[in-house]
Amino acid sequence: MMNKKDDNIIICRCEEVTLGEIKQAIREGALDVTGVKRRTRAGMGLCQGRTCEKLVQQIIKEELGKKAEEIRPSTFRPPVRPVTFGTLGGK
Amino acid sequence: MKGYDAVVIGGGVIGISVVYYLSKKGIKVALVEKGDIASGTSSRCDGNVLIADKQPGFDTKMTYDSQLLFKELVKEIPYDFDYTQRGSIYIIESEEEFKIAKEYVKKQVEDGYPMRMMDKSEIHDDEPYLAEDIIGGVEIGCDASVNPMALVFGLSLEAKKNGAEIFDYTYVKDIRLDKKGAVEAVETDQGMLITKCVVNCAGVWAPEIGNMVGIDIPIKPRQGQLLVAEKTFPVGKRKIVEFGYMMAKFGDENYKRNVSPELEKFGIAFVFEPTLSDNFLIGSSRAFVGFDTDVSIEVMQGLAERAIRFFPVMKDIHVIRAYAGLRPYVDDHMPIISKVDEVPGFYIAAGHEGDGIGLSPLTGKLISQMVTGEETILPIDTLSINRFKE
Repeated sequence: MMNKKDDNIIICRCEEVTLGEIKQAIREGALDVTGVKRRTRAGMGLCQGRTCEKLVQQIIKEELGKKAEEIRPSTFRPPVRPVTFGTLGGK
Repeated sequence: MKGYDAVVIGGGVIGISVVYYLSKKGIKVALVEKGDIASGTSSRCDGNVLIADKQPGFDTKMTYDSQLLFKELVKEIPYDFDYTQRGSIYIIESEEEFKIAKEYVKKQVEDGYPMRMMDKSEIHDDEPYLAEDIIGGVEIGCDASVNPMALVFGLSLEAKKNGAEIFDYTYVKDIRLDKKGAVEAVETDQGMLITKCVVNCAGVWAPEIGNMVGIDIPIKPRQGQLLVAEKTFPVGKRKIVEFGYMMAKFGDENYKRNVSPELEKFGIAFVFEPTLSDNFLIGSSRAFVGFDTDVSIEVMQGLAERAIRFFPVMKDIHVIRAYAGLRPYVDDHMPIISKVDEVPGFYIAAGHEGDGIGLSPLTGKLISQMVTGEETILPIDTLSINRFKE
């Protein structure tokens, strides 16, 4: 069991999203990593969830009492790693 | 089996807004959404609440009225949906555009909207990172911006407080009509919802729902792609759009921008949206590719090329993500907000293309007034599905 103090732990460092905010998002209807992301911005920052995705999955698993494989990961989209506008749009 | 005064199909910004305004009137309403709410077009778009890209007359009026409703929503809804009203700016590349813009602004000012021309020195003072050759601009004082997903979540929580029920991850299998052809029930994979009123807010999927009651809804998916930049210094203060965007949107044949065939092919026009998360989004593209939401590298390259053309400073800023959404396109660029005469009790609120976020409060309000038989705040004839009949 997580106590109340733990809710202040930052799970997504890029967007500074706490455990408490993620639990709130799950209470409000998020069932998967993308659902949490859309409600909290967890995974929307520079690393695109590379650091927090597994943690978010773990939290959903605990909160909803599901198996890890039942929780869908988020969608990966290009670019694979950050690329400058100059590199992308240069001729 | 459960009974409702109204059942709304589709949990995007339009459906949720309709549910919110119906529930505010004390109507017993349920919403059915096949996935999570805000998981389709409303999570693959930007947060524009603009009159900037509207045609003078009804198109502008309707959007302006929706902007006024947003101001009420900010007070009504405790959930923060990142509403800001910083205005927007059109940037102008050529004398020809300047001339067209002047005519456009003149009309809009006559109608009482807060728009004005900006000369070269003024626009560069305002936006110091702008490419040096930009010759002027248009300032649109009333334009605003929201976080579309937060808007959907905020409206849904408030609607639930008003007693609305939201059935997410629930699939509509069929709509049942009685012997007279009027709406009787919505059949879902989770059971039957009894109702005499159905509002089809399924966006690009609205034609599928229309088929269930035997009507044609002329909406096509039009793909739009966006780039997400990393957190950075404020490159631009407000929403900044190239004037050619309006031409790309309405596909004006008489006007050609000086751009490469690739940019023309993908309908790429520069749209810059600073967010409250200290980053920015870059749009826009337009293409008919069916229901495909994969991003394409060619469009990403085109978007980046166009961004650097207007803001050379962006060349060293990183793109962290690209995404694509499907806009519910209608040939005449007006949404369908309408009852269906052939099927009593069946309403449509869909086909907003890129204006769904901006028009969502107005759409919700209009449908709630139509369903309760009140006078609507705007004449709705232009929005009727009957306009497609010969």
